[in-house]
Amino acid sequence: MAEPLGQIMDALDVETFFVCASEAEGRTYMLALLKQWGLKDVDIVFVQHEGPGARVRGRAYVYRPADKYQWLLGGEGRS
Amino acid sequence: MKRVLLAPLDPVHDIGLKMVARGLTAAGHNALLLAPDLAPEEIIEQVVKHRADTLLIGRTLGYGVAELLARFVDLTDASGIREKVKIGIGGMAVRPELAAELGFDAGFGPGTEVEEVICFVEDREYKADLGRIKKRKSDMTSSYDYRYHHPGISAKLAQITDMILDWVKGKNSSGVRRAKVRHELWDAARWRAREDMSEFTKEYSKHCGEIPRKYFEQGELHPKTRRFTIEEVRKFEAYLQELKERMSVKKLQHTRPKPLVFNQYGTGCPFMDIGHIVASQAWGVDGVIHFDPSWGARTEGFMDGFLTHQEDGTVITPANFNRIHSSLESSTLWQVRAHRGLNTPETVVLAGKLGADLTKINICYGALGAGTDPARMTLDGYHSILYAQQYNLPFDVVTNEELAGVPAHKAFAGMLIVADLAVRLGARPILQPLFAYSPEVMLRGLMADNYIDYNTAKVHALRSILNAPIWPGAPIGFLTHTEDRVQSAMTTAMHASLAMSLGVDAISIASTDEAYSGGPITASAKIDTLRAVQEGFRFFGQASIIPTANANLLVEELVEQIEAVLDRVIKTGDFVAALHQGCLGSREDGAYPGRAGKDTVEME
Repeated sequence: MAEPLGQIMDALDVETFFVCASEAEGRTYMLALLKQWGLKDVDIVFVQHEGPGARVRGRAYVYRPADKYQWLLGGEGRS
Repeated sequence: MKRVLLAPLDPVHDIGLKMVARGLTAAGHNALLLAPDLAPEEIIEQVVKHRADTLLIGRTLGYGVAELLARFVDLTDASGIREKVKIGIGGMAVRPELAAELGFDAGFGPGTEVEEVICFVEDREYKADLGRIKKRKSDMTSSYDYRYHHPGISAKLAQITDMILDWVKGKNSSGVRRAKVRHELWDAARWRAREDMSEFTKEYSKHCGEIPRKYFEQGELHPKTRRFTIEEVRKFEAYLQELKERMSVKKLQHTRPKPLVFNQYGTGCPFMDIGHIVASQAWGVDGVIHFDPSWGARTEGFMDGFLTHQEDGTVITPANFNRIHSSLESSTLWQVRAHRGLNTPETVVLAGKLGADLTKINICYGALGAGTDPARMTLDGYHSILYAQQYNLPFDVVTNEELAGVPAHKAFAGMLIVADLAVRLGARPILQPLFAYSPEVMLRGLMADNYIDYNTAKVHALRSILNAPIWPGAPIGFLTHTEDRVQSAMTTAMHASLAMSLGVDAISIASTDEAYSGGPITASAKIDTLRAVQEGFRFFGQASIIPTANANLLVEELVEQIEAVLDRVIKTGDFVAALHQGCLGSREDGAYPGRAGKDTVEME
């Protein structure tokens, strides 16, 4: 099987709800989580904190435009 | 005739089995639907009693249900019926792989056609009815005659068109010359066959700026671009061929044929664009729009080569257009934007030669919102319209200057001027009002209560003036999107549903990444809004959205204001001067006459 991450067309989005006290905290948790998973090109697309925590959508670009895509090039791509 | 027993293993959810039972009976089979919630032993007893050939189980999966179903299959083994009876299972969470894992002969999940189950019962291979989702390209201008319903505005537009036609006489620009060279000396078939194009290249590069000239003379690329490798191109061709063999497309519209749905591509990389285009096609888009980089609009001339780019917007080259076009399904409409910049007429020629269906031209937006000198834009815009007519490319007249703060009535007056000029030249313009929470809307509180009235008023105002196709854009819901995926998909679907309710011809939609600026739009963000729009169309069907009485007042106001703007343009006696003087959008509004191409219009 091809490396799953390399078969992502462009980016991996992760959505969750962090139990936390502020938007900044939710943002920090998401970025830390994505980095913990070995993802490098990470960002927060959306975060909203209300009451018990933050609804956060994090994004890790697997490919930026003009990269070499594994889903197109097979093993010669990302992996 | 087969004997089929249908057994809901669920206390309540047996609607799917009822539909299947009805289909089987209609197909001539003996279908017996058992009462819900029988014990597995009772079901097996009924199978034996009725000497069934096939048993169809219906069950919504939930906690512990997988184990229950596996035990059911074990029980059929133990009772001896497993060998003789085919057993299928269906339900919302069922997938063929799961069914196989649990020991069933087939699994039917959401979206299953009754015919698919009948094929299972009859031991036939199921072939999806591809005719059902066959899409064809359509011409959204074909049913419009461009007649005016408002004689006063018609007469004023005719005067302004005369002014423009008079102004362009005897004038030329490098953009117009390049378009002529491209039109006369560049042949797509010869270029594809890699035949000698030196006659074109020699003449063309004379009229280019530094970047394209360096490309043609020294083979030097723009520093932000790189050429794809041969290996990448080979792999791309293999990928596309393999994909086309299994590609099918969805239809977003439910019971109304309109509006056609367009989305935009332009990540900077043709491969990623093509990835996004094929995903959009699979999820139902009717058309795609080429988005080029902003520096391309300020460069005199195009390079060639299959080039990728690390910035927003995909570089226009014949090779890029050719490859992108090759990825399109035969039903997909392809629009190439030519509305701004120094390559406007040539973009139309290139688009026409390489198979585009539509283009985009607006002199006023190009001059007031996109940075091109008004004189250059007027001359180049006029020639662009002539080429659009010649290459049979209808074009929308976009009014994105509204986003800078230009009030809708001024943007509409500019749009109608370009549309009238186009009709005079035998072209087919499409009116493109914005469905937007624009600066004017915010300042005047025009959408303080709802997003429906003012957008409705825009469409009704245009219809009260001219019988022309209308294609709200671009994208609909501009400035109502946030970075929240759900909100963004929702606002797109609501605006799309309003557009459908108004019976417009097409819409351009954003992805759910519209408000996110940290990177390129993703394929799944495009699918988000396509799914949402499809659901909106399904929800409303033939039903409509009803505006409040305020919409009518806004229509009257808009039409009166448009007429007043046209009066001011006529009073200047010169269309280009009117652009400079702010008649169609002033500095106070947020419109600034562009400077790219300043002093490049020459008298012949």
